Amino acid sequence: MTAVAAKPQAGGAMNPTAMAVGVVMLLIILALCWYVSPGLGLMALIGVTIGGILIGFGTHFIPVGGAPAAMGQAPGIATGVAMLAAGAGLAGLFGGAWAAEQGQVVAIVTGGVGGGLMMAITCMMVNFVYVFGMGIPSASGKVAKDPITGDTQAEFKSQGTEGHGLPFVSFVGGVTGGFLGGAGGTLIYLQLLRLYEAKLPALMGIPATQVMPIAVAAAGMFAVGLFLVNAVLTAYNITGTIEGPHDPKFKRWPRSIVASAVASALCGFVAILIVAL
Amino acid sequence: MVANIIFGIGITALTGALATVAGSAEDTESNIGSQGDPNSQVQLAPQMGFLHRIFNKAVAGEPPAYGLWCALGAGLAWAFMAMQVNAVLAIVIGSVLAVLVQGVYATTAYLGRTASLAKFGQPVYVDILKSMTSVTMAHAFIAVFCVVTLCHLINGALGHPFPLPLLGLIWGIALGAAGSATGNPYYGKERQYQNQKFGAGVPISASGNIVRYAEAGERNSLDNGFFTHKIGGSASGICFGLIVFLELWRTILFDKISAGWGAIVVGILMILIFTVVDRYIEVWARKNYGPYMEAKVAS
Amino acid sequence: MTVKVEVIEGGVPHTKIMIAGLVSTLVCLYLTYLNVLTNTEMFAFFGGLAVVSALIWGSHTIKVLCSYGIGTGVPSAGMIAFGSGVMAMLLATKFGMAAPLVALVLAAVIGFILGYISNNILNMKIPAMVQALTEMAVVGALTLMGFAALITGGFTFAGLTTGSVSMLGMTVSSNQISFIGGGLIAVAFLLGAIAIQHPFNACLGPGWKQDRMLMLTAECGFLSMIVAAIMSFALISAGSAIISLVVAIVGWAYAYNQYICLSKRDAAAWLDAKPIPEMEGH
Repeated sequence: MTAVAAKPQAGGAMNPTAMAVGVVMLLIILALCWYVSPGLGLMALIGVTIGGILIGFGTHFIPVGGAPAAMGQAPGIATGVAMLAAGAGLAGLFGGAWAAEQGQVVAIVTGGVGGGLMMAITCMMVNFVYVFGMGIPSASGKVAKDPITGDTQAEFKSQGTEGHGLPFVSFVGGVTGGFLGGAGGTLIYLQLLRLYEAKLPALMGIPATQVMPIAVAAAGMFAVGLFLVNAVLTAYNITGTIEGPHDPKFKRWPRSIVASAVASALCGFVAILIVAL
Repeated sequence: MVANIIFGIGITALTGALATVAGSAEDTESNIGSQGDPNSQVQLAPQMGFLHRIFNKAVAGEPPAYGLWCALGAGLAWAFMAMQVNAVLAIVIGSVLAVLVQGVYATTAYLGRTASLAKFGQPVYVDILKSMTSVTMAHAFIAVFCVVTLCHLINGALGHPFPLPLLGLIWGIALGAAGSATGNPYYGKERQYQNQKFGAGVPISASGNIVRYAEAGERNSLDNGFFTHKIGGSASGICFGLIVFLELWRTILFDKISAGWGAIVVGILMILIFTVVDRYIEVWARKNYGPYMEAKVAS
Repeated sequence: MTVKVEVIEGGVPHTKIMIAGLVSTLVCLYLTYLNVLTNTEMFAFFGGLAVVSALIWGSHTIKVLCSYGIGTGVPSAGMIAFGSGVMAMLLATKFGMAAPLVALVLAAVIGFILGYISNNILNMKIPAMVQALTEMAVVGALTLMGFAALITGGFTFAGLTTGSVSMLGMTVSSNQISFIGGGLIAVAFLLGAIAIQHPFNACLGPGWKQDRMLMLTAECGFLSMIVAAIMSFALISAGSAIISLVVAIVGWAYAYNQYICLSKRDAAAWLDAKPIPEMEGH
């Protein structure tokens, strides 16, 4: 979009004071949660926070080029980073929620594999269209050699562009990002679901079997909401585009970890208060 | 037990087919509307002095927009089913109403964007508004109807715990993500910049100089849909179809093996297969297309 | 410091829109409380009007925020607004009569912290960020509450989680057929998230005009209200749903008509089946 084309000048610099404030906020929220609902509530909040961190960290891996990628001017997938991460993570959440009865670990890994599979298919089809539809080989603009395969990149970059397509390292990054996102989303969903299943029947005065639709829908909706918050915060962190784990912007991840932890803990705390108050 | 699995496989195949149709229709719809990232060029062209007759329907990125159309279709279908309306009828009416919303959003997006470009002399074409909106609505109906139907099958026949509207949201966003990822480059590079070199990215200096004239007369967005459907649309369809089909297939068939780990192992194996295929495509392109310049000359 | 791409030129100042939006949203939400006082569901349509006024405020906030390049698309702003608003709204519904005010305070706190995170921890350094994210979380929470009131006739936790289903002439209370249990909250979420970002996304450009954008927001709000009113047939009495539907259709028709007139006013030309105008030098 030309009207809002000027990118913010937010560089890679860390702000130590703000990071410290963030960590303190996180501790305060955890302490509050311990005060209101020790045991089940605190466990759920810790799970939600870890899930949020996984989503925020995972989104850094997903190679997204934004509008220039659609013209073959920049490497990566031609769409928005927050929404691609959401697409992959929610596909994972779908699988994880289905496997919820088979135990935490199985469900979380299932969710992760679902997200990774979605990204693997998508990245493969992107390269398919670039190579067989448009006759363009992949090339990264940020590194001279692919860190995984060692392929040189610069000479495969067509004139006047920053690269195009998905080099192998970006593909691996995409799958990793999808895996982390799917696992994080599922973790959030499972924690909230367990909590609501345990607490809602007493709260609403109805039998546990009737409470299931409410617990599932509310936990699912909150997982989606938290996913979007974390993905958008990460998109802000990398200013909208990233090539994958080899991109210099990837080094900004510590900021995003703190941000995602605080944001997820805050939103998770509110979600826990619904049954704790 | 076996009958259950056979029933599940049948539903899985049906949802895979529906997803393929949905992906294809979604990409064609968004290309006719210039939605998603290629939209930036349609928006940029008049500012560089290239006035055009291309539909410019920027509702949002494809994932959130399709998230809404599919969730809305599913929500309306759910509401009609709650009122004891027959499921097929409920899904059709829900999709039709969701598509009406899509059509209204499309017209306001075109009017808004074009009116804001008045400074550069880009006029509003009422005939574009009338003919393109109806075509995008038709494609959107196919996509929304297929997604809502597959969500209903997943929820009703396969027993997924999420309610129908939430499934619509999830698969709508996934549909938009898959369709925009696969289809956007083909429209953005190959169709908008047909005047540029084949087999190379568009140089940044050429931005905004999109093709505005057709074989005869002036190009409109129906020509773009006609062109991109051949590869971009089909590829998007295969992409989304594979996502839905494989995700369900591995769950239905292998979920019961060693308490869920069977489906996980199969999923990881499939990821590895796609990794190998992707690497093969990449190496094939490097070998057959060759570098653009000698390695030494390159910076 | 970022370069400000567009200057807000003329029009109603943002503070005025914010106050007007906040007050009218709260008033409309409280008017739905007449349902409880009169024991009907006829006043559910005020929930839809609350949605419209909250969205008008929110879309202008998005304009203020996105005038600075935030590095990613306009739609993401709507997503973060509703993602943070949905929790505040659901917790607030437990406070009965005070729900809208609690939602306002809770969402403001969440939005403020999210703004601090973006601006300081993520180092975005955008002056309007903290205030804009605070406002948007509030708008998200109040919009969802408006949709809830429109679809179920009230904004209490019990009302949102229980519904009734009539089977073979008998009416049975059910949790499956409800705003939350049926997942209608997901539809409300996206209806609001798209409607809040669409007006600025659609009207951005050098010829941006405030009145045209806000008219478009009203149009989007009423359009969302139409489909939400159709969904409300499942949860409230048909007569009340028809009232909501009629109000929504009348409001939408007016706003859409006005928007087309405003677009006609601002467009360079309004042509039907004409070729591309000849420009010098091309």
